[in-house]
Amino acid sequence: MASVAGLRYLTIGQYVPGDSPIHRLDPRTKLVALALLLAAGLATAKLATNLALFLVICALVGLARLPFRYLRSSIQPALPVILVLLALQVLFYPSAHRDPAGAGRMLISWGVLRVSAGGLWAASISLLRLINLLLLFGLLTGTTPTGALTQGLEHLLRPLNALGLPGHELAFVGAIALRFVPILGESLETILQAQASRSVRQEAGTRWRLARNAQRTAALVVPLFVEAYRRAEELSWAMQARCYRGGRGRTHLRTLVFASADYLALGLAACTVAGVILLQRLPLP
Amino acid sequence: MSETIVAIKGLRHTYLAGTPLAAPALRGAELTLRRGEMAALIGPSGAGKSTLVHFVNGLLRPPVQGQVWVLGQDTGDPSCDLVALRRQVGLVFQYPHQQLLERYVGDDVAYGPRQLGLTREELRRRVRWALDVVGLDFETFVDRHTFSLSGGEMRRVALAGVLALRPELLILDEATTGLDPRGRREIHALLRRLRAEEGMTILLVSNDMDEVAELADQVTVLHQGRTVWAGPPREVFAQAERLRAWGLLPPAATELAQTLARAGMPVPADVITLAEVEEALWQALQA
Repeated sequence: MASVAGLRYLTIGQYVPGDSPIHRLDPRTKLVALALLLAAGLATAKLATNLALFLVICALVGLARLPFRYLRSSIQPALPVILVLLALQVLFYPSAHRDPAGAGRMLISWGVLRVSAGGLWAASISLLRLINLLLLFGLLTGTTPTGALTQGLEHLLRPLNALGLPGHELAFVGAIALRFVPILGESLETILQAQASRSVRQEAGTRWRLARNAQRTAALVVPLFVEAYRRAEELSWAMQARCYRGGRGRTHLRTLVFASADYLALGLAACTVAGVILLQRLPLP
Repeated sequence: MSETIVAIKGLRHTYLAGTPLAAPALRGAELTLRRGEMAALIGPSGAGKSTLVHFVNGLLRPPVQGQVWVLGQDTGDPSCDLVALRRQVGLVFQYPHQQLLERYVGDDVAYGPRQLGLTREELRRRVRWALDVVGLDFETFVDRHTFSLSGGEMRRVALAGVLALRPELLILDEATTGLDPRGRREIHALLRRLRAEEGMTILLVSNDMDEVAELADQVTVLHQGRTVWAGPPREVFAQAERLRAWGLLPPAATELAQTLARAGMPVPADVITLAEVEEALWQALQA
């Protein structure tokens, strides 16, 4: 039985202070580069391209000097869902689907259960894609403070203001959502502690016992939501008390300036996308 | 000397150890409690009081360094039954709204005992007893919504929910903060009664030195995760300089007595409650 603590230190989406080249980049650069790499990852359906992208991301993580544990923690919570999705993909892969590797060669055929080489192939590509996606987001949020992220996003959304899209508000909502992750973690920890200290049995938190966990989760969700609404209400009062009136006329302590490193980073991101597209056209698996 | 029921030695604890966000909370904490005593744990904010208390309740377990013995069990031993332990060690949280888990007062007070497999009548009797002890009328409160309670009532319901488990050791984490003076006095009277009538051992975590001087017979001082002093309150509060260095102030009565002594009144410097100041002044004026 594990002790009930530590949830308030959820690391998903949290900034890890540092002074690496990636930390120093302009948030706008990081956002655009993230969008480019995401697009590259989603546009290609080959193992080689996704693998290349994975290597690029690993290099970036190394450059950012982010601790391995941090990134592992940003993938881990999604793992059960990913595995279920992969299992479905393997089991229900249409055998008629054309694919370059094994052309639907059956590995196991057992009643309705059919596992084809193509299915496994597609599943491993999906796995790599999802991991790339999570790593990229971890890389962005781990190296960029929430404030800078909001500011960058606000700048990037500014052209859309003319169309009536509230750029500042959208960026702000995103930032608050990120900020609420550890706050809700803390509330969850307190509720678990309250239940534990009043003698509710909580066995070690294995995330695999899904039915059991679902039942236990139900008992947590209601107090957690009550707490979340209470926090949200308090936040809105605090904002009003400090005369928050949206982004109009608001100035920033740090103005964003593009440095040569930013142009270099954007250039490299564009090159990566181009490289991935080239790889896609090559006759690779 | 009565039996020692809590013995914590050389306890160290770091939240999220081994990550960039590591936060050391305890670096050599000690705590000893004897059966039947009313003890206090004091220290400035961030000294690790709540963390230490979580170890006594088994919400946290000893890591590599330190020993925690509670009611004859080593909580670091993997075979230790923490659920049974938590039944014997009641913890009242700092913020009562965090402790209320059900929609109705009656259900909430019954939350703990319900897990004990009691009969309906026994359960009802316990709830009635617990509400009665904290001074809430059973008929009036049992069907009230927990969210419609006032701050003081919420605190009493949270306390009743813990008392309903009939713990041997009761821990209150700043349980009188935010109460009005009358509510505070009522809780103090209640604690005295629990100790006298039920024989409960009580540990108060408090920032109110007047309260500590009034109630406690043993004080443990925590500073930056270390236990820096343990002894009777009179000894602790007599050392004004040390207290300041730990980020604490002596009780108002002690400060008053020390000011009077500096002004030339023959008042002893080690009084800690207003009643004692009154007594000393009375004697000084009569002499």
